[in-house]
Amino acid sequence: MEFLTFLILFISAWVLWRRSEKERLAARLLIAGVVLMIFLFTLGTRTSLLPGLNY
Amino acid sequence: MKRSPLYTVLALAVLFLAVVPLGTSVFVLGFFLGDSPCILCWAQRIGMALVALIGLFVLRYGPKPKYLGLGVLVGAWGVFMAIRHSSLHLARDVGQGFALEMLGAHTYIWSFAVFWVCIVVMAAMLMKVPAEDLQPAAPRALRGIDRVALAGFLLVIAGTIVQAFASTGPPPFVGQSDPVRFSFDPRHWVWSLDEFSSAPVSVRGRWAIAKPDVTAVDPDPATAPLHSVPQLTIAGRRSLNLGLNGAPTDLAYDAASNRYLLTTEHGVYLTDGALQNVVRHTVIDPLFSVDMGRFAGAAFLGNDRIIAVTENKSYLVLRETGKADVDLNYRYFLESPEAFEEVSRARFATLRAKMMYVMSAAADPESHSIVTLTVPNAKSRNMVVSRFDMADMTLSEEFVPKLSAQPGIVLPEEGNPLAAYYVTAATIANGRLYALSAAHSTLFVIDLASRSVVAVYTIPGLAQPVGLVLKDAQFVIVSRDGTLASVDVPAAAGGHP
Repeated sequence: MEFLTFLILFISAWVLWRRSEKERLAARLLIAGVVLMIFLFTLGTRTSLLPGLNY
Repeated sequence: MKRSPLYTVLALAVLFLAVVPLGTSVFVLGFFLGDSPCILCWAQRIGMALVALIGLFVLRYGPKPKYLGLGVLVGAWGVFMAIRHSSLHLARDVGQGFALEMLGAHTYIWSFAVFWVCIVVMAAMLMKVPAEDLQPAAPRALRGIDRVALAGFLLVIAGTIVQAFASTGPPPFVGQSDPVRFSFDPRHWVWSLDEFSSAPVSVRGRWAIAKPDVTAVDPDPATAPLHSVPQLTIAGRRSLNLGLNGAPTDLAYDAASNRYLLTTEHGVYLTDGALQNVVRHTVIDPLFSVDMGRFAGAAFLGNDRIIAVTENKSYLVLRETGKADVDLNYRYFLESPEAFEEVSRARFATLRAKMMYVMSAAADPESHSIVTLTVPNAKSRNMVVSRFDMADMTLSEEFVPKLSAQPGIVLPEEGNPLAAYYVTAATIANGRLYALSAAHSTLFVIDLASRSVVAVYTIPGLAQPVGLVLKDAQFVIVSRDGTLASVDVPAAAGGHP
């Protein structure tokens, strides 16, 4: 999934550079990257969502 | 004219982000040193790439609110990720951590610094954005520095794509908690779906420990895991009538002065040898300093000093005096500020007992130590004895008492029987630790030299005992409801034959 995420970011940056008129596409890819980042981190921390320290 | 320097700064920031943290991670740590990020590191690296990419969006499309907002959001999420990830390792012994160090700090710490700096930089730049730039406009023409930033970003992300494919594989494979060394050789690639395996979802995980509660345990000896345990009989009972400010939480006795020490949630009471009159007391202010929790154990230390230990293993050392500075003590005490001086207020640190509360403490004059015993909880089910040297109040020893079959004790066929007990009162005499469990009303006699349980007794009829002392060949037990019970000490437990 990390591979896919960085691929999406690469394409987003490429669109931004070479096809700047397609801003909506680039922005949607950017949002997809944000969603995947949150998904991956939550997946890895779901057994303790908050930092394991005293509160 | 005003905008050009701002965009230049932004382009340089994107370039820095792409080259230093992201580029170093993939080309130096990854390809050169063989480092593979764990699943959390990957998410943090994605966060940094996103911040850089959002910077590129601003370079191209201007500082639109949706990009600025997204930048702050990703930066804030990045700081959270860094704290969550670092929390796994921050409290380890000096020098310990996970994976590689850079400039004296592990990579996950640098992630915190990077995201924090990103937010600060974004905030500083936002303050300088002219209002007219917030209006919709056509894409900006990229300048040389902008193209360099974009090219640098694409180069680093391309390298990261290669590393991510080798380390984590194509979807649906994901990064691993404990990744293997990076290699370009496909024979060494490990693609995993372990992170999708079933696991309980929790907010605080193993740190969600309920506070101890003596009222929640089963006092019935018949339901205990240990069977055929000899029984002691309560020889006498009476009620305390001392005007305490709450339920008792522990009891200690000092033979030298023939006085008792009683604690309540935050109260400390010295009484005469008959437990009839309070001769000195105070109520501490538990706030605004070390979190004192509720007093769970107390002991005489000698030289007019006493100690009270709380459930969370904080402690308070007081010295008796008749001429304390009342004004100075205003900060420490809620009642009788003239009766004591506060010597210290600090915390014990443990290892085996780290994730457990205690409900008892005792002083061992022979080893010049304070001893605590844990109570089990849903996540840590054990009885841990921790010994702290009075010289520096530091952990000197920790052990789980050895329990073996012996005359009068039948062990269960499986499981740890000590996990079912809930020690709420303890005292030490002649090298033996007497630990009284409110669960199943059971008294353990533990030899401190061999760390072994040498005798076990049940005491039917006890209800929520919280304090135990040994005086004149009798156990004196105080319960939470203020009842005093006396029990003759059997010879095998150190009493008179």
